[in-house]
Amino acid sequence: MSEQDSRAKNTLSRRDFLKLLGAAGTALTFTPFVPWGNFMPNPDTTSLTRAKVILPDDTQANVNTFPVNHSEVITYPKTEDRVLDEEAFRKWQFIRLSPEYGGEAKDVSAFRAYSMVCLHLWCLWKYWPEEGRKRGECPCHGSMYDVRIGKAFAGPAALQAPPSNVLAQLTFEADNDGFMYIKPAKWNVNENGVIGYGRFLKA
Amino acid sequence: MVVSLKRRNGLVDFFYWMWDGIERSIFIGTKFSFPGRFVSPFGFLGMLTFITFIILGITGALLMFYYEPILDRAWDSVEKINNNVPFGFHLRNIHYHASNAMVLLAILHMYYQYFSGRYKIRNEILWVTGVILGTVTILEAFTGYDIIFSERAELAISIAASLTNSIPIAGPTIREAMFGSGFADFVLRFYAQHVFILPIVMLGLMAVHMPRFLVFDVPMVMAISGAILITGGVFPVDLGFKFEPTVPPGITVPEWYLTGLYAFLRTQYDKFVTGVAWPGLFILTLAIVPFIDRYKKFSWKDRPIVTAFGITGIAQIMVTTYWGFYISPDTTKPLVERLVIDPIFFYLVMVLLVPLGFGFSYMMIKLSKEAERKAKLAASKAPQKVAQINLSGKWINWLIVALLAFQVYLNIAAYNAMLAGMNNFSLFLTGLILLVFAGMFHIYRYGMNETKKIPTPPPQIAKETPKPIGVAPDTSATLPQKEKESTPKVTTTPETAPQIKSTSAVLNESATGTPDLKK
Repeated sequence: MSEQDSRAKNTLSRRDFLKLLGAAGTALTFTPFVPWGNFMPNPDTTSLTRAKVILPDDTQANVNTFPVNHSEVITYPKTEDRVLDEEAFRKWQFIRLSPEYGGEAKDVSAFRAYSMVCLHLWCLWKYWPEEGRKRGECPCHGSMYDVRIGKAFAGPAALQAPPSNVLAQLTFEADNDGFMYIKPAKWNVNENGVIGYGRFLKA
Repeated sequence: MVVSLKRRNGLVDFFYWMWDGIERSIFIGTKFSFPGRFVSPFGFLGMLTFITFIILGITGALLMFYYEPILDRAWDSVEKINNNVPFGFHLRNIHYHASNAMVLLAILHMYYQYFSGRYKIRNEILWVTGVILGTVTILEAFTGYDIIFSERAELAISIAASLTNSIPIAGPTIREAMFGSGFADFVLRFYAQHVFILPIVMLGLMAVHMPRFLVFDVPMVMAISGAILITGGVFPVDLGFKFEPTVPPGITVPEWYLTGLYAFLRTQYDKFVTGVAWPGLFILTLAIVPFIDRYKKFSWKDRPIVTAFGITGIAQIMVTTYWGFYISPDTTKPLVERLVIDPIFFYLVMVLLVPLGFGFSYMMIKLSKEAERKAKLAASKAPQKVAQINLSGKWINWLIVALLAFQVYLNIAAYNAMLAGMNNFSLFLTGLILLVFAGMFHIYRYGMNETKKIPTPPPQIAKETPKPIGVAPDTSATLPQKEKESTPKVTTTPETAPQIKSTSAVLNESATGTPDLKK
């Protein structure tokens, strides 16, 4: 190919140059609207602080009075808003274990709190204290959870690879009078876990 | 690296395939034109109104993600959108100012059609649907600012419900059916009307109202969008105070398109007559104007009574709109004295505006006819000179590059303003970016047109065509002959065709005197 030919081919016509400028201008005009996508996710304003364990009857849970082999639903993190507090991702099964699992101890070791959101398809499971069950069961597809460690031992959730077979959990501390508090949570698979996703069991 | 912009790849082919498929849809009946040069926006104000409707649809749909139409949560959710949600401030302000722009553009659109007489010649259906569409637009805007449920919204909702209730016989039934039984119902129902029922009604009316020939002028659309954003940045809309039943609200006036009606309500007369019958009569009169207007001509100058009628109407709207806004600032006076408008004074002014409106129209028509006559005289005497800005291709490119650089700066500034939490400034700058784009697109369009033109040939050097000695070119004699030779060639060749070069060559030849030799 001669030099003349290649030059003729590579020369940008005035129309094409204008088109390129126009395209650049259009791109620059719509660039400022890209960060506007941040409008879509709802900004989360709750902070993960130490909080009292408040039972549905508005009293604070106490290691001395809470019945053995029994569960209640608690909310964490709580907001000012009644409607937001109804969110399933804020709901936890607060369980005092049965006597054979050490539920009669008068300290926080007798208590567990696991996210109510099943790891399989996010239905809400609950604790069944009846003799022969004493486990968490999900009404949707029958995943069953061992309430001592929060691990799924049967059903579809049990077949999911770690960390998606162990429920997120909350940890507690109690004051001298036995009143219980939730320790600040960290939503991370190596700490409290990620609700609806799972947690790694510590060896 | 040079990229060809003409390449047809699979994706482009796919788009062409889809575009061809539209032939089977109803859209083939609509003809879009994208003007290649500046055209007066008065001709496509309806399209601009539709564009603001689209902007309102998009921003409104986004606001729906956070807005809660519940009596004690509505205001709080709007406050959250305004203060906490990223870009919520932007979208709320665009939604608010676009609503004002839409009402304003619809009114301007209507008056342009009115004075240019376009509602005639079988456009009566378009006019009547347009008048209904305008009324629904105002209702849409009204329901919008009510569902915030601020103090002002509460007053507006109460007035609307009370006016509906005041309609003889059917009023209470309509009120219960449309608004429900109380504030809790009002918020939810106004919301349903605002986001679904009224927009659906508007879309239905638009299907009838849309003419087959539509103009989509990119620079003007971008300029209107930019203006809405800039207005939002300069005059951010406030939240008002949350309605608390235990706290009596302060004095509030409605939005500007309803203060005219508000002025009538403040005259102490019966609420049905002033609040329902008068505006109803006004809308009805507008709707039947094309059937009353029997003039054979279209121009406002040739339809003096219709023009005078329109001008009187505008004058009355302006006076009542201002009067509705005006509340004596003297707080020592009792509230009733500040708020009540003396009906005798008010209606006397309304009546006096009629002869004034007719007189003004008469004067305008006289003056314009005189100006027309003078212009015709002047045109026959002097050559018509229109001021023009002619830019060379080089300068067009430099101008666009400069505007691009300005846009880069504005982008950075808008992003920084957003990071710094200066929401209104970032909204202002984003609006400015759209305005700059409007200007840039106009120059781009101009440049594209210029490239189609034949480049002016380089000046001929006299030495190249030596003149034969002895034959002196007589300019006065060649002049008519030059016209004879060149004109037929110009008419036979299309302007864009490259063959046009021949005519310029002929002109150059004649300018150098060579045709004389051909004789």
